[in-house]
Amino acid sequence: MALRIVPSAPHPTATPTSIGAPSAPGVHDTLRANLSLSAPPPKAASLSTSTTTQSFHPLEARLSRWRAQQDGLKMELLRRQFGIAEPVKRGMEMSIVQAGEWRPMSLGFGEGASVHADILAGRDTELDWEDVYTGGEMRETVDFHVEMEGHFGMAW
Amino acid sequence: MPGFDFSNHNRNLALHARGVPLPKATSTGTTIVGCLYDGGVVIAADTRATSGPIVADKNCEKLHFISPQIWCAGAGTAADTEFTTSLISSNLELHSLSTGRKPRVVTVMTMLKQHLFRYQGHIGAYLVVAGCDPTGAHLFTVHAHGSTDKLPYVTMGSGSLAAMSVFETQWTHAMSREDAVKLCAEAIQAGIFNDLGSGSNVDVCVITPEKTMLMRNYITPNVREKKMRDYKFQRGTTAWLDEKIIKRGELGKYVTVEEVKEGGVGGVGERMEVDQ
Repeated sequence: MALRIVPSAPHPTATPTSIGAPSAPGVHDTLRANLSLSAPPPKAASLSTSTTTQSFHPLEARLSRWRAQQDGLKMELLRRQFGIAEPVKRGMEMSIVQAGEWRPMSLGFGEGASVHADILAGRDTELDWEDVYTGGEMRETVDFHVEMEGHFGMAW
Repeated sequence: MPGFDFSNHNRNLALHARGVPLPKATSTGTTIVGCLYDGGVVIAADTRATSGPIVADKNCEKLHFISPQIWCAGAGTAADTEFTTSLISSNLELHSLSTGRKPRVVTVMTMLKQHLFRYQGHIGAYLVVAGCDPTGAHLFTVHAHGSTDKLPYVTMGSGSLAAMSVFETQWTHAMSREDAVKLCAEAIQAGIFNDLGSGSNVDVCVITPEKTMLMRNYITPNVREKKMRDYKFQRGTTAWLDEKIIKRGELGKYVTVEEVKEGGVGGVGERMEVDQ
C-alpha cells in the first residue's frame, strides 16, 4: 500500500491499452494482437473503453474518502513499525467498542458518531463539519423510548 | 452524506449546459495586516465588507476570536473566515482542555492549514493568525489552499500591496508597542485610501502575554458627513383637524338615520330572530 496522505483523484489517470478493433470494440483484432506463438493470445479488451461519465464535484470524492485514507495510512504505518499485531489489535478494539456502545439518536449520535470509537481513533478532541452536519437533518427523529424499546427487544 | 452537500452539483452543471449562467465570482476586498513588536504582536483590519461593486457593510468586524491570547484577521469569503475561525476556536479549546496547557499559535496555524488544505481552496479563507503563548509572540499567514508564512510583518487581502509598501518603508527592528500600533494603523489606512475594496475604519488588536486589547474603530477616517439639507418636517407643518362639531339635524348629510319605533312593527327585516 502506498503511503498516500490525501485520497487519490477520482478520475482515471491512465487508460488501458485496448487491443480490440477500434471500429468494433470487444472483438478480437488479430492484426493488432500479439502474433508470437510463445506468448498467450491477449484477451479481448473489455467493454471498459466507454468510461462511465462522472461529473461529481472534484472535492466530493476527496472528502468522502478523507478519514478512511487517514486511518488506512495510520494503520499501515503501525503495521510497518510494530508488525501486523498492532493494527489487528486496534481494529478488534474498535469493533468491540462500536458493537457494544449504546448511542441514542435523540442525543445527536448519527452515523458513525461514537464517544469511545472517537477516543480510540484519536478524534475525541476534534470537531469538523461532518460532526456538525451529520447528513441526518432531514431524517425523522426517533423517540428515545421507542429506540430504547427496539434496542432491547421490548416492542411487544 | 455528512459534511458538505454536493447533491446539487450535477444539477447545476446540467443547468449551465442549458444556458443558465453560473453565479459570478465576487472579488472580495480587504486589507489585513500584522506586525510583531518587542513583547507582543499587533494585528489590524479595515471594516468594509464588499459584495461585488456594492459595499455590503460599512463597519464589519474582521478580527476573529480564537482564544483569549490568539486572534485572527480574515480576508476572503466573509462567511468562510467567520465559520472556519469559530470551528478552529472550538477545536483549539477541546485540544487545550485535553492537553491541559495553554494553546499555542503554531497549533492554530497547523489546524487551519490542514483544514483548508483538505478543502483545496474551496473554503476561501485568507487569514492572519497572531497571538502570544508560552513560547513567545507569533505571527502567521494562512492562505486558502493551506500554505503558510511566518514573517515579522505580514499583509493580506486586496489592499495588501498598499499596506506592504508602508511596512517596507517604515518597519524597523524591535519596535515599541505605540510604534507598532501606529504603523499597523498607517498600513491599514494606506489600504483604505488606495484600494477600492477596503474602506471605512481601522480595527486594531494588541496581544501581549498578559492581556489582549481589541480596539474596535481605533481610527475612523471616513466619518459620514452631515447632510447639507434636511428633509425632516418640523412638528406642526401639516394642518390637521382637531375636532368637528356636527349638529343632530345635520347628521342626515353623513349617515342614513332611521328611527325605530318601540314595540311597533318597524321594519320587518330588522326584527331580531328569537327562538319561539
